[in-house]
Formats: sequence, structure tokens, C-alpha cells
Amino acid sequence: MKHLTPARFAYTLGLLTLLLLAVACFGLVTGPSSLTLADAWSALLGAEAGSPAVDIVRGIRLPRILLASLVGASLATSGVLFQALLRNPLADPFILGVSGGAALGAIAVLSLGGVVGLGYGAVPPAAFAGSLVAILLLYVVAGRGSRVSATGLLLTGVVFNAFASAAIIFLASLSDMLEGSRIFIWLIGNLSASRMDVIPWLVVFLAAGLCAAFFSARGLNVLALGEEAAEQLGIETERFKRVLLLASSLMVGAAVSVSGLVGFVGLIIPHGLRLWIGPDHRLLLPAAALGGASFLVVCDTVARSLLAGRELPVGAITALVGGPLFLFLLRRSQQRLLSDGGSP
Amino acid sequence: MGADGFQGVWGFLAPQADEATALLCDPSPAVPRQPADAAKMRARLVSMASPLAFRQRYPIVLSAVFCWILAGPGAAADAPRIVSLNPSLTSILVAIGAASSLVGVDDYSAGQIAEVADLPRVGGLFSPSLEAVVSLRPDWVVLVPSAEQRDFQNRLGELGIPVVSFENLHFDEVLANIERLGALVGRSPQAGERIEAIRRTRRVARRLTRGRDEPGVLLILQRDPLYVVGRGNFIEEMLTGLGGRNLAGGFEGAYPRVAVEWVVEQRPDVLIDLSPGVEDPLAHWSRWPSIPAVASGRVVAISAEWVSMPGPYLDRAIETLAGSLYGEEVAARIRSERLR
Repeated sequence: MKHLTPARFAYTLGLLTLLLLAVACFGLVTGPSSLTLADAWSALLGAEAGSPAVDIVRGIRLPRILLASLVGASLATSGVLFQALLRNPLADPFILGVSGGAALGAIAVLSLGGVVGLGYGAVPPAAFAGSLVAILLLYVVAGRGSRVSATGLLLTGVVFNAFASAAIIFLASLSDMLEGSRIFIWLIGNLSASRMDVIPWLVVFLAAGLCAAFFSARGLNVLALGEEAAEQLGIETERFKRVLLLASSLMVGAAVSVSGLVGFVGLIIPHGLRLWIGPDHRLLLPAAALGGASFLVVCDTVARSLLAGRELPVGAITALVGGPLFLFLLRRSQQRLLSDGGSP
Repeated sequence: MGADGFQGVWGFLAPQADEATALLCDPSPAVPRQPADAAKMRARLVSMASPLAFRQRYPIVLSAVFCWILAGPGAAADAPRIVSLNPSLTSILVAIGAASSLVGVDDYSAGQIAEVADLPRVGGLFSPSLEAVVSLRPDWVVLVPSAEQRDFQNRLGELGIPVVSFENLHFDEVLANIERLGALVGRSPQAGERIEAIRRTRRVARRLTRGRDEPGVLLILQRDPLYVVGRGNFIEEMLTGLGGRNLAGGFEGAYPRVAVEWVVEQRPDVLIDLSPGVEDPLAHWSRWPSIPAVASGRVVAISAEWVSMPGPYLDRAIETLAGSLYGEEVAARIRSERLR
């Protein structure tokens, strides 16, 4: 492991911040409408409100970029947390069914909420509750004992995902046609409904989750040595894990409630960054937040610009990139298992 | 799935354009067969319904068929038993006074049309239940052959249940549907009156709106995800008949999905929002004040059933559209002339 110096910390995060700013600028000037670069810049910086360029750049693209970066940061950070807590490189909120749980909670409110008088405002808490239930299930079924079995974990996730999607389809078939189409688009994951007024909520959820994560970075490093070692070094592992699982379900719930099921961000960003900067969570956690944000901004820019005037769901783009990569990682980790003589 | 594939959602409006062309050579007859082979069909249904082996139940089948021949066709001759799988067709039947012919409807018909709310339901547009339809012993099943219901049509055909399919993408097709449904239930005069009322309204509206400013219009079907009224459908035909320019006419599909950014860029003079939603449409669209329709207050919300249903009240739809393009005064003049 490379030693973490303040200089390296500042250098890495500075570079990633610059990257995020660069892709945000790219997103602001890219889109289906025929705005020139100069138009977009003057719309962003100039004050003359009331022109289509201002509406497009500030009213449509800017909230969307903010939302994409917040969602990307949430998903990537919670990916790091899951991978550290479950000590499994394949953990990801999407694959483990945590996003599915959040989606189920949100869709339950969207389709049945009207009956009991719950409005759109109840969606984020419901998504949060759903992700919490999924995490508890994982924790109880697969996360007991000092070691977590990769198979048990993935199986639990797969089964819970199947259950959640079946329940979602059931709810969708009960709801009317328009609601059904909305649920469908939402399930693939998309940011087209981005609105400024949800951003403060997301910031609150994300900030709470990120704070909890960053303050526990040192503990996560110790946990990587094994739970017994961590206990000996003075960490109350059970309580520590509970707090972080809560933090990650906060972030996943918030992200899913505004963007639907955007998969694989929590998987490929932490992995890519670990290859570059090593596994030290003090650096990895903020780096994953910045990297996840940049990644989703790029994917969303592609999603809304690839076909002029039309929208692709961003979840389809992230899944197209993430799916093959996941299979690659799975295969590599299995090969490692075999060469280790079968011990996980 | 491509963005277009999702148009299936609008199956109650119309099938996709390519389907429309494919179905021009639809073998289903314009004037449907009379239920001459109804007895044969019923025999088949009885044989399916019974759990006994065929040989054992043969006498029962025969006697059942006999009873039906004695009692059934007499009643069926004046009031055929119809199952409708599309709210626009249900609505036409109700409007021409044939509600009593309906013995079953799809969920959306039951949800939207009060007169049929208590009828047996046979499932949604995408998921009609074959068994529920068969058990209602219909003389005719009427449907719009959207992608979802075409397979269903084939299955019904295999079971010997007569199916009549209706295209409803274009204005003239809707008028033809009213005529065909009138003939099917023996209420052609009532159907003719409805068609004439619609034609008269179209003439009046065209006359009263001629020479106006030809506003650029976007019709929003749904806000999130955003769908608009595109090219080659009855809503666009009504709009252009009133002198409105459909800014989404350049898209290939009848009901394309678009980006909000695109809507802002088109600078529509009038924005007609047909989407069901809790949020006030003016508040929603005024987030982008550069849209001319927002600046001039010409964002109009219309309940979708008034305009986007290819049903029996296209006269009312034309009047409503004219009102949102040119103001309530024009709508009132059309109304007074069409009701005269």
C-alpha cells in the first residue's frame, strides 16, 4: 500500500475535482439543442434571463448535472462502504438488491400512496426505508459471523432483487397505464425529471452519509484486517457496521428516490480508483465520491445527447458499461479463489 | 427498447404507424360477419368449459346447443353480446346508445366511462384475460390491434370467437369506426348523427378559424417521461384543421418521446398539456420563462379524455382545441353553431 501523505491526498482529490469541473462544463455545453459553445457560456455567465439558451443551460442542464453528480457520488460512496463492510469486492448497492429495495419502497408510494393520502414527498423516506430493509436482510442472512461468504451475499442479493422486481411488476400492473409507463422508465434509471427543488434534500441525505463515511475511514481500514483484529484495536465492530449500513442506506435511498435504478456506479468507480490510488479509505472515500459524480455526469450527458431530441435512460448507459466489467471482476475473483485453494 | 417502442403506452390512442400500414390489409371484414356460426362457437365453448371427456359430454353438449338455438339467437339478433377491449370503442358504443350490448369491458373503459363501470372487467389493455372474455360468451370482441392486443386477437380467433378490429390513428378512421360500430349493433342512424355532428363541427371550426395567426403548438401527452403529439394522428389532424402548426410534426412517430430542452428550443406559442398530473401545468412550464406560451399565458391544460380519446366526441375535442388556440370566445361560437 502506498503511504498516504497530505501531498498525495491533495494532489489526487485536486485532480478529481478538476475532472468533475471539466465534465460538468462539458455537460453544460453539450445537449440535443443546437446551442453553440458561445451561446451556452453566455447563458451560463450572462444575466439576460428570458432567452431559450438561459432556460436550457440554467433551467434544464444545470439542475441535471447537479443531480447526476450527487447521485453518482452517493452510489459510488455507498459502493465503497458495502465493499469494505462486507469485505467483498463485488458488493454494490445495485447487485445486492439495496437499490431494488429502495425502488420497491418508492414505487409502493407512487402506485399505492394515493390510496392512503401519501404524496410525492413520501417517496424519499419510503425509498430509504426500502433500502434499509434490504440491508438488514443482507446483514442478517449473509453478514453474520466474522467472515462474509461471497456466495451467500450474492445469492441473497439476487434473490432479494428478484423478489423486489416481482413486487414492483405486481404494483405496476395494478396501476394505470400512465403510472405504469412512469414506473417502467424509472426502473431503468433516468435523470430527465431533474428538478432544482429535490436537490437540497439530496444534499442533506448525501452530506449525512458522506460525513459518517469519511469519519469512519480509519475504522474501515482497520476492519479490512478482519473483525477480530478490529475488535482488538478497540473498534466496536457491530455498532460501527450498523452506523455505516445506516449511512449507506441513507445515500442509496436518496439517490434511488430521484433517479430510479442507476446500476453499477458503486461497483466500477471504487474498483477503478482502487487500482489507481490503492485501498486506503481515507483517500478512497472522497475520491469515489468525486469519481462517481464525474462518471454519472458523463453518462447522463451521453444519455441526453446521443439521439438528438430524444432521451435515453442513463441507467441503460451505466449498465452497458458496468455489466461486462462486473462479469470480468467476478471471473477474476473466482480465479483468485481457486488459486487460494478455495478459501474466500 | 427504443424510445419509440414505448409508444405502446398510447395503445388506446392508436397503434404505431408501421402497424397501421401493416393492418391496411387486415383480413377482418369491414362489415362484420353476422353471428351465423354462433352456435358452433358456443358448442366449442361448452366443450371447453366442461371437465368431462368429450365422448361423455357429447350428449350434454348437443342438448346445450339445442337449448341455445331455441333460446339464444332470438335475444342475440337484436342485441349482440359485445366485449370491448378499448375505451375509445366502448365510448363510441355508449354514445350511440348501445351500452346495453356491452357485456364486458377492459379495465380502462370501466375506469373512464361511468356507464360501463359496473360491467364485468376482462383486464387491462396490455393484459386482457382470455378466460374472462371467453366466459362472457361474446358474439363479438371489438379491439384496436395494438402490439399487445394483436396476439390476443389471434388467440381469440383460434378459439372461434369473432373479433372485429378497429384502427384509430387517423381522424377519418375514427369516423369510420363510429359507422362500423353502428352497423355492428344495428344503430346506424345514431352513428350517422354522431358522424354528421363531428363533420359539421369541423366545417364550422375551419370557417371560424381561417385566416388567423397560425400559432406554433406543442401538445404534451405526458410530462415525465415527456411525450408529445407527433405526426400523422387524429390529434394533429384536428390541430392543423384549426390552423395550428404542430411543432413536433417533424418526428417520425405519432407520439414521440422528446427532451424538455427540445420543447424549450421550439419556442411554442401555445402549449397544450394533456397530461394527468397533480402539479398545475402553468407552474410546471413557467420554470422555463423563455417559452413564448409561458410568457403570454397560453399554457392550457385539457383533461386528456376531452382531446386524446379517439372516441365519439371529436366535435367536442375540436371545440376544446379551438378554445385553447384562439380563446374561449371562438370556442363558444363553434359551440353555438354546432349545437344549432
